[in-house]
Amino acid sequence: MKDLSEKAEQTEENQNNILEVIQVKNLKKRYKHITALDGISFSVKRGEVFGFLGPNGAGKTTMINILCTLALPDSGLAYVNGYHVINQPDSVRKSIGLVFQETTLDNHLTAEENLYLHAMLYGVSRKDFIKREREILKLCELWSKRKMKVETFSGGMKRRLELVRALIHWPQILFLDEPTVGLDPQTRKKIWDYIFTVRNKKNTTIFLTTQYLNEAERCDRIAIIDHGKIVAIDTPKNLKRMIGGDIIIFKTENNKQAEKEFRKKFPEYPIKWIGKELRIEIDNGDRFLAILVKAISPHITSMQLRQPTLEDIFLEITGRKIREEINGELEEEENRGFDITSLFTLFNSPEIKEKKSKTEKR
Amino acid sequence: MNKKLQTLYVIWYREVLIYLRNSLKFFTSIFLPLLILIFFGTGLKTIFPTTVLHYDFVQFFFPGILALSVSIMAISSTMSIVWDREFGFLKEILVSPISRSYIALGKILGATTTAILQGALILLIMPYLGINFDITSFIKTVLVIFLIGYGMAALGIFFASRLKRIESFSILSQIIIAPMAFLSGAFFPLKNVPSWMAIMAHYNPLAYSVDALRWVVLSKSLNNEEILLMTTHSLPVCLLFLLAFNIVITFLSVRVFKKLN
Repeated sequence: MKDLSEKAEQTEENQNNILEVIQVKNLKKRYKHITALDGISFSVKRGEVFGFLGPNGAGKTTMINILCTLALPDSGLAYVNGYHVINQPDSVRKSIGLVFQETTLDNHLTAEENLYLHAMLYGVSRKDFIKREREILKLCELWSKRKMKVETFSGGMKRRLELVRALIHWPQILFLDEPTVGLDPQTRKKIWDYIFTVRNKKNTTIFLTTQYLNEAERCDRIAIIDHGKIVAIDTPKNLKRMIGGDIIIFKTENNKQAEKEFRKKFPEYPIKWIGKELRIEIDNGDRFLAILVKAISPHITSMQLRQPTLEDIFLEITGRKIREEINGELEEEENRGFDITSLFTLFNSPEIKEKKSKTEKR
Repeated sequence: MNKKLQTLYVIWYREVLIYLRNSLKFFTSIFLPLLILIFFGTGLKTIFPTTVLHYDFVQFFFPGILALSVSIMAISSTMSIVWDREFGFLKEILVSPISRSYIALGKILGATTTAILQGALILLIMPYLGINFDITSFIKTVLVIFLIGYGMAALGIFFASRLKRIESFSILSQIIIAPMAFLSGAFFPLKNVPSWMAIMAHYNPLAYSVDALRWVVLSKSLNNEEILLMTTHSLPVCLLFLLAFNIVITFLSVRVFKKLN
């Protein structure tokens, strides 16, 4: 008996020493009308802050749901902390902390009660709970508010409390699904500071999804996902190197003429139409500006020189802007099976009907 | 084992905590049955003179109202699942590393506890209605209330797991709870109803609940023949039926809850 428990402890120790805490191979998931994940493979190292970047409906939430055992993949392999997500869901759940897109706090209870319930659900002893609660609540500046009911909290406070809650059982991996969406810039910055403090203190791996490019730049590594596929995966620095040097965007009175002249004079530099503007990728852009003004005959009405951002990378790879289509909401809930209410749509639930017809249209 | 008990305790604890904290719900949950008992009971009494009835109308009425209010309390407590889904908390519970069956059982036991608390409060007014009881009949009554509350809580979980919106509860109460209540024998004896109604009542767990409560609540006020007049089933039959119903519905509701996502 003793041997067994020792062994179990050992394996747990081994699990916690695994270097690649998330491994995903050729993962596929299809919903009724859409392919959410189309053969995704990647791995995340221990202690990394890994960002999943993509527009709405790219499959980000589906990815998180599969990794935290809320959804089953159609095919492919996924390991979290060395555990198989389909065969060992309970072990996976014990190793991870989660912050969802929507709040999942109990509004009737106080902040402390919410944390205590969570600690009990994850088998944290009372002694450990008291110690950790103090430490993490102070870190997230909620210590003085712990006796208050959650319904009195602002959006930012709720978010922070959820972060605290996800950390109270010391997870190996923290999953954050759009952790800063809908928050003011100040709170956003704070949340990021907390995330990095936790990483530095506990070497917690952090897996997050975001559609904010400036936030993604703070990650150690990012994967850009589009239409269920990973189109690029690297450090933000390396990704930016995909675009040579600087970017010049300019507009003239006759863009077509300008493009023609440019292609003729500088065939070595690529030029592209972006909406009503022209874009050039170039080394030492500051010096080239002066040359450009003289080189083309149509009058230049506006001109901009800048360093490449992730937005440019996204544009380069996918051919469109990341925040362009907001209506491509893919992360639809799976059909939960029979719902009694569907029987009564005829009588008194026009909203349900509306919802249905909307999904059908899609 | 210890861990599983802790799971049960956590879920149960939250249900009861929310019930006790919500003082408005606490108050309204006993207010309506009291109103019905006082006004309905007194009013209806005037059309049934005791010469026809052999017993006081309130004695007939009280166990029925007790059974109904306990049942409705148990079912409506389980609606917390739908609230939790609406406000997201359900997800927090579903992704935690604990067994679904124990979550479901914890919820059922929590709802049962709220039903028992309510039942006990209503029982306290028995002396004022001319119903005698002593400590043994009180304990027996609470045990029967446990059986009733548990079954209805499990039934509630069975339905609540499928409901996606809180508004659906009114539909549930109209097509499931109301017919069960009307056919329970709480408002009129089921002895002489037409056969189609009798057949339906035969499969209604609430009919057995009302009868069971009549046997235990009135045991110190009326003799067996008098109680026999207002019930359709004997006490052992009622208890057996309720026990069987509870086992089956526990199994079903746990199964439905396991499929939740």
